[in-house]
Amino acid sequence: MSFSLKRVYAIFNKDIKDVSKNMFVLSTVIMPIILAFVFTQSEQVPLGTHYFIINLTFVSITVFVQGAIIAEEKEKNTLRGLMMSPATTIEIITGKSGLSALLTVISLVACMRITGYEFVNEPAIYFAFFMSLILYLAMGTLLGLLTRTVMEASLVLMPLLFVFGMGTLLLEFIANYPNLAFLEYLPNYQLQFLAETVNAGQAFTDVIGYLIVIAAWMVILCILTVVVYRKRVIDGK
Amino acid sequence: MDNILSVKALKQVFSKETAIDNMNFEVKRGEIFGFLGPSGAGKTTTIKILTGQLHPTSGSALLFDVPSTKMNHPKYLKKIGVMTDNSGLYSRLSVYDNLHLYCELYSVENKRKRIDEVLEMVNLIDVKSKIVSKLSKGMLQRVTLSRALLHEPELLFLDEPTSALDPANSRHIHHGLQELNRKGTTIFLTTHDMQEAELLCDRVAFLNNGKVQLLDEPSKLRRKYSDDTLTVELVGGERRILKNGPEGAQKMYEYMSNNQVITMYSNEPTLGDIFVDVTGRSLL
Ligand SMILES: Nc1ncnc2c1ncn2[C@@H]1O[C@H](COP(=O)(O)OP(=O)(O)OP(=O)(O)O)[C@@H](O)[C@H]1O
Ligand SMILES: [Mg+2]
Repeated sequence: MSFSLKRVYAIFNKDIKDVSKNMFVLSTVIMPIILAFVFTQSEQVPLGTHYFIINLTFVSITVFVQGAIIAEEKEKNTLRGLMMSPATTIEIITGKSGLSALLTVISLVACMRITGYEFVNEPAIYFAFFMSLILYLAMGTLLGLLTRTVMEASLVLMPLLFVFGMGTLLLEFIANYPNLAFLEYLPNYQLQFLAETVNAGQAFTDVIGYLIVIAAWMVILCILTVVVYRKRVIDGK
Repeated sequence: MDNILSVKALKQVFSKETAIDNMNFEVKRGEIFGFLGPSGAGKTTTIKILTGQLHPTSGSALLFDVPSTKMNHPKYLKKIGVMTDNSGLYSRLSVYDNLHLYCELYSVENKRKRIDEVLEMVNLIDVKSKIVSKLSKGMLQRVTLSRALLHEPELLFLDEPTSALDPANSRHIHHGLQELNRKGTTIFLTTHDMQEAELLCDRVAFLNNGKVQLLDEPSKLRRKYSDDTLTVELVGGERRILKNGPEGAQKMYEYMSNNQVITMYSNEPTLGDIFVDVTGRSLL
């Protein structure tokens, strides 16, 4: 199977032109940045707060923007045109992910600048961020594929925001309920634990467990995305 | 002539409703094939199955000798063009940007020139840089049509391509489609416009309740269902129906010798009449 960067770029380029006129999506990008400003009011920002904002960025930008632009393609019947073109599944999904990925990176960098987060120059951290980006992109694509309209996608985002974007709040909550301990395996907490471990100066072997869990999330979500996408191709809508 | 498309015992059931029921027909390479039927007859559903957007409940459809369920491969998608009611455009982008994206997706060469060509064909060259959300319904329909033509497909599926158009634009597009067909594109066209079907189609299929009820060339159908009569309008406004044969000929001779004839016309049925005759249903 061939992979044409030209087609991927054409879809990405289209999305850039499109989003520059899409106030609804553009306005959501502001949210984590505003939050970042709010939190810098206190002098010493704890690591938990940094990661609260980072994870919130992943959910409210990566997942939401991705979900919204895919849902919009469905709502406006334009996804069918892409599917009927010679672009492959991978080309379409990659092309459609470019914009959300770009916005995510920009917001992450902006938020880190604002909160003064020192990005530890460790391969494990880069790797974990990269895999997180992919897994949230896949989650957003799924969100868009499983909902019919942008409004529906925004509604479904609410519980996702609660689960993936609440940071230490949810963590403190589940500490009282041992039955909910499995929630620690959510990718947002794994990323935070990994960062804490790296910051504490632990060796690579101590973070490998977190990397594996994040990788598992990434692989499962990517497979699910392709499966659901292929189902959509033949749903006749 | 070989068949570019052949449908065998096709059936599509939605939950409990049977939309297509044991459908059989073939489309020859190079023809304009009309698929006629009233609303809900199953025209769009058939196009969706043929283009691989829907897998049928049972039966098969072969395009280029490949099952429709395998159409979803770049190799085959390149050869077909589709315009249905689920072909949307990007409303925030200009007409040009919409078409340009598709040029890239289909690896069309000489993009600018090709975009001008297809816009010319749908009579929309002057809205090239307009934003899609500012276009009228008929304009949208024409841009969607032009997009389906960009990559010069071998087989073109058009689902009611002129339903929102005024007569002048319909005519412009009819000429364009005939021109395209002359250059070798096979066209599968659904419509409930009988005049469009008569004008464009080499053969038509009448669809009713998910079945093909009749399939032939329009002229043959008209002859087959003709009652062999002529109507003559005489001076004074009187109308006479004359049957083919010596008796009718005698009458005609009389009228004409006495300079009584104002006009006369054949009573060949229209495709619409035949449709009502065969299905007991009106087309609209
Ligand atoms: N996705 C679907 N789910 C359930 N029923 C469907 C679906 N798509 C079509 N149908 C039904 O199948 C039948 C045929 O529909 P179809 O859209 O093919 O008709 P059509 O001939 O294109 O009509 P029109 O001229 O109005 O476009 C209708 O009764 C319709 O309600
Ligand atoms: Mg229809």
